[in-house]
Amino acid sequence: MATFLLQRLAGLVGVLAVALVLTFVATRLVPGDPILVMLGDQSANLELADSLRAQYGLDRPLLEQFVAYLGEMASGRMGLSFRHPGVPVSEIIRDGLWISPLLAGGALLIGVPLGLGLGILAAMRQNTLFDTGVMLVLVAGLSVPNFALAALFVWLFSLQLGVLPVAGWRDPAHAVLPIVILAIPVAAYIARLARTFMLEVLQQDYLRTARAKGLPERLVILRHALRNVLVPILTVIGVILGGLITGTFVVETIFNIPGLGRIAIEAIFARDYPVTMGIVLMFTFLYAAINFVVDLLYVAIDPRIRTGAAR
Amino acid sequence: MSAAAEPTVAVGTGRDLLRRILGQPSAVLGGIIVLVIATIAILSPWIAPMDYRQTDMLAVWEPPGGDFLLGADQLGRDVLSRLIVGARVSLLVALSVLAIAVVAGTTLGMLAAWYGRWVDSVVMRTADITFAFPELIIAILVAAMLGPGLTSTIVALSLVSWPGIARLTRSLVLSIRQELYIEAALACGTPTRTILLRHCLPNIMPALIVRVSVGIGFVIMAEATLSFLGLGVQEPVPSWGGMIRDGLTALRTDPHMAFAASAALGLAIIGCNLLGDGLRDLLDPRLAAR
Repeated sequence: MATFLLQRLAGLVGVLAVALVLTFVATRLVPGDPILVMLGDQSANLELADSLRAQYGLDRPLLEQFVAYLGEMASGRMGLSFRHPGVPVSEIIRDGLWISPLLAGGALLIGVPLGLGLGILAAMRQNTLFDTGVMLVLVAGLSVPNFALAALFVWLFSLQLGVLPVAGWRDPAHAVLPIVILAIPVAAYIARLARTFMLEVLQQDYLRTARAKGLPERLVILRHALRNVLVPILTVIGVILGGLITGTFVVETIFNIPGLGRIAIEAIFARDYPVTMGIVLMFTFLYAAINFVVDLLYVAIDPRIRTGAAR
Repeated sequence: MSAAAEPTVAVGTGRDLLRRILGQPSAVLGGIIVLVIATIAILSPWIAPMDYRQTDMLAVWEPPGGDFLLGADQLGRDVLSRLIVGARVSLLVALSVLAIAVVAGTTLGMLAAWYGRWVDSVVMRTADITFAFPELIIAILVAAMLGPGLTSTIVALSLVSWPGIARLTRSLVLSIRQELYIEAALACGTPTRTILLRHCLPNIMPALIVRVSVGIGFVIMAEATLSFLGLGVQEPVPSWGGMIRDGLTALRTDPHMAFAASAALGLAIIGCNLLGDGLRDLLDPRLAAR
């Protein structure tokens, strides 16, 4: 148990270290001088160039720059933007900081229960029309990329029916389509897994025992089956999260939402490497941390892992 | 074909395999879709009705029908021709990524399983760390370093794909290492290279084929997503993801390009997934039983 935790913790630290080195190297490896780009038509002003270079610490040896970089990341300021000279990265991404987690969280809140429900119901009615129908919708939900789905939904709900706003970020109504579009692949993925696991669980002896002792079917499913379906589903939270990160980038682009994803995309095209790398680090850290927590939960829920019986 | 008479061996003769594939309607449907799209992709230089780069300022956002069967885009280029060439781009990326990922993944996975010790540690820890990064974040890092484009798309998606194949190969080789025929080969003094390539590889092939066929849809979707975000294939090379992005800007008045490209992309991925799922059920009886 303790070794398992220590291993995972070491993994988390290792990932962070690799991410820090990679983002630093990526920023420094870029061809061209960021200071000259920043100066634009003032590139002949050597004095200004020198003072900017000193402000960004680019005149110091690489090792010193790396130490300063670590300090900036630890302090949460994350260095200075290239596109907006002198402005800290933290200030640029501050407004977007809560938007992307809000979208992803909303998608999980809708997608996970919906997927579980659909998957379990389909498994309980295996090989009926309902099951086949659900499976077909699932294949479509997993296959059609969310931006293709968004094209259809925006056209239908915003442009033809006019019930939802096309794009923007002011009212709660602006969050409806993005969250629904993010939730569909989540629900489809979970439903497919839940159906598979449920079919397996339904054949287990402990369910027969539960029924044999006269437990109502509702309780058999809720108390005995659901619990055993939830455990394997927990392991795919990481996969779902990875998909949701991509998804927030996509919906923020489509719906013109000023979240981290759109800020990152804009920064990439503006060659604002400190901003890009700051967001890369944040997502990597978040992703690794949540996977770490999932590992802990997994151990807490499944006693077989705690004792090492499953390995 | 009765289920009870089914052999437990994953692969039979070619004719037997074909017969079993034909017994699965959804796999057949997927196969047909994939075959049609692949044919279109291969023949694209000859069957595209117009030059996909030819702009026509008088035909901007021309609706479908007339000269432009599926309409024209924001520069007056033929949407159908761009879709057809886009199929080629999509498949080219998918096949390159899978080729790189399979060669790298199986090689590293086999070496890790066979030599164990530090080789195993280095390969598997590298795989773990790659897994620990969200896919898109890897793509962004690569795009930032190499600049967005076809090459960085292939590099990024290969980086994302190899660890899964390496893990799979490693676990498969670890399990067949104990087999008698490997022991026999070792006793005959067969060189390691020959054991790995002639004895191990053919035995893990069915599982690899399943893995790759399930992966094609994923890679096509990933490429389209990167191109949609502007990090993937760049103009003037057409890509379905990029066409959907451009089409979205004119959704109010001229939704034809967004819809046509979405349909092409969705159909391609559905086809790949149906075929992949079907092959998985066929070649992996353990999973099919579920």
